[in-house]
Parts: sequence; C-alpha cells; structure tokens
Amino acid sequence: MAGTGTGGDYTMNSKRKEIVEELNRLMAEELEGFLRYFQMRYRLKGIDRLAADKFFSHALEETLEHAEEIAKQIRSLGETPRLNINLSAAGGPTNLTEALQETLAVEQQALDAYKEMLPRVTGDPVLEDFIRKQIATETEHIQEIKTLLE
Amino acid sequence: METWKEFDANELTHSAAHHLLAIHELGGQYGGWARVSDIARELGITRGSVSINLRGLKKRGLVDTDEHHMVKLSVEGEKFVAGLTAKKMALREFLQEVLGVTEAQAEIDSCKIEHLVSEEALAKLNEFLVKWRAQERVAITR
Repeated sequence: MAGTGTGGDYTMNSKRKEIVEELNRLMAEELEGFLRYFQMRYRLKGIDRLAADKFFSHALEETLEHAEEIAKQIRSLGETPRLNINLSAAGGPTNLTEALQETLAVEQQALDAYKEMLPRVTGDPVLEDFIRKQIATETEHIQEIKTLLE
Repeated sequence: METWKEFDANELTHSAAHHLLAIHELGGQYGGWARVSDIARELGITRGSVSINLRGLKKRGLVDTDEHHMVKLSVEGEKFVAGLTAKKMALREFLQEVLGVTEAQAEIDSCKIEHLVSEEALAKLNEFLVKWRAQERVAITR
C-alpha cells in the first residue's frame, strides 16, 4: 500500500535523521576532546608534562581516529558530517592529578553518550558493531585513567 | 578597579550561571535532578564541556552529583538561581514594560545586564518598579 510505504519511509528518514544528529554530536565530543588533550599537554609543566606526554599524545591520536570513524559512519548514511563546537578551553596551568581527573570526566561523558546511542542503533549491524566497539574502547580508557589516579 | 575589569570580576562566569539555570529548569520534572546530556542540549555545547564546567561548580558547593552522573543544585546553588531569576525578572520588566523593548529583546538584554549590574543598582531599580507599578495602577483607574 502506498500510504503505508510513505509512512514507513517517513519513520525511516526521521530515525536516520536522529541517528545522524547523534553521530554529529558524538563527533563534536571527540574533536573537542582532541582539542582539550592538545591544550592539556601545554597546561602541564616539568615532570608532570614528561610523565603524561605519552598518555595525552596517544589520547590525541585516538580521539581524532574516533572522530574520523564517526564521520565515515555519517557519510555511509548519505549525509555530510556537521561540526558544531563551542569551545573555550581557558584552563590555566594544572598538575597531573587534576589533568587526569578532568580527562576522566570527559571520557566518562563520552562513554555515557555511546551507551545512550546503543539502543538507537540496535538492529543495524554496522552501526551497532561500531558503537559497541566504542563503548569497549572508552570503558578501557576510563579504567586506565582510574588506575593512574589510584 | 577599572570598570572594564569588572566584567570578569563576578562571583561566577556568565556560562556557569547558565549551567545553574539549565539544571534548575531541567531538574524541575525530576525532583531537581538533571542529566548531563540534557544540560548539553539545552546549552548547545558538548557533554564534555558540561562535565568540566560542573567540576568547577561542584568544587564551589553549588551542585551535587550522584553515581549515575546526574546533577542537582545544592542549597547554595538554589539560592544563587533564585537571586539570578529575581534580577532577570526585574530587568526584563523594566526593559519591556517601562522602556517598551520587545519581549524577545528584553529577554536577551536582561540576561546580559543581569551578569554585570550591581546589587545597589538593582535595589534602586526594584524601588523604581514599585513606584512605577503604583503610578500605572493609578493611571488605569482614572
């Protein structure tokens, strides 16, 4: 029936639009994280910077990779990634513990965001797999930061 | 202090004040508790930014958080929001009712001025509004 088909198309389009919006938000989270980590390396000084440089350099690479992956997912849904960032990272000099606590807060939010996304993509094998992988990666990160903070 | 420096001398930044207002508004439906994702949507920023800003507010005793990463205004936070709302209302009334500024612009301007106006000026404004309302009532009954 034409009517049912149109309604179904509308629902599909509406759901896809919501997913794309969420993916754009997730991409913004990752890229903002990238910028924060970039700055964080320079907020740390002396031995703290030396101790954390590898950690933050790795985090920088990974957040950019995640953003790239999300952008690809958006493209595969037929849309162009849209970036909406309103960031003022004005934090002054900090110490390693503070830096890691701040990082933990951001990573925790990223994990929560991916977890909230999961039910929306359940049934889509590609997206579901992608989000599950992200959840696993972010969970690992958080555990790593918590261990460093012990 | 030079006047221009007072723009940054407030107890809280404008952004922090908006975080508190958002928590107040969103938490209204859930016993005061708000989700970081909803605060982020409300303010048009990322969850990461919200969580970092909340750390500062928590340190100042203005918000409480729970193990599910939900956030709520503390008693101090509630007091701050009440003061902020009263300020905004007085300024909005002055702009809209006394000066005839449109509702939308009065909302924007009251938000901007609220962050900078002194307690002394606000007290005088409230005194003025009391007198103005009384005069308006007299004018209507005539």
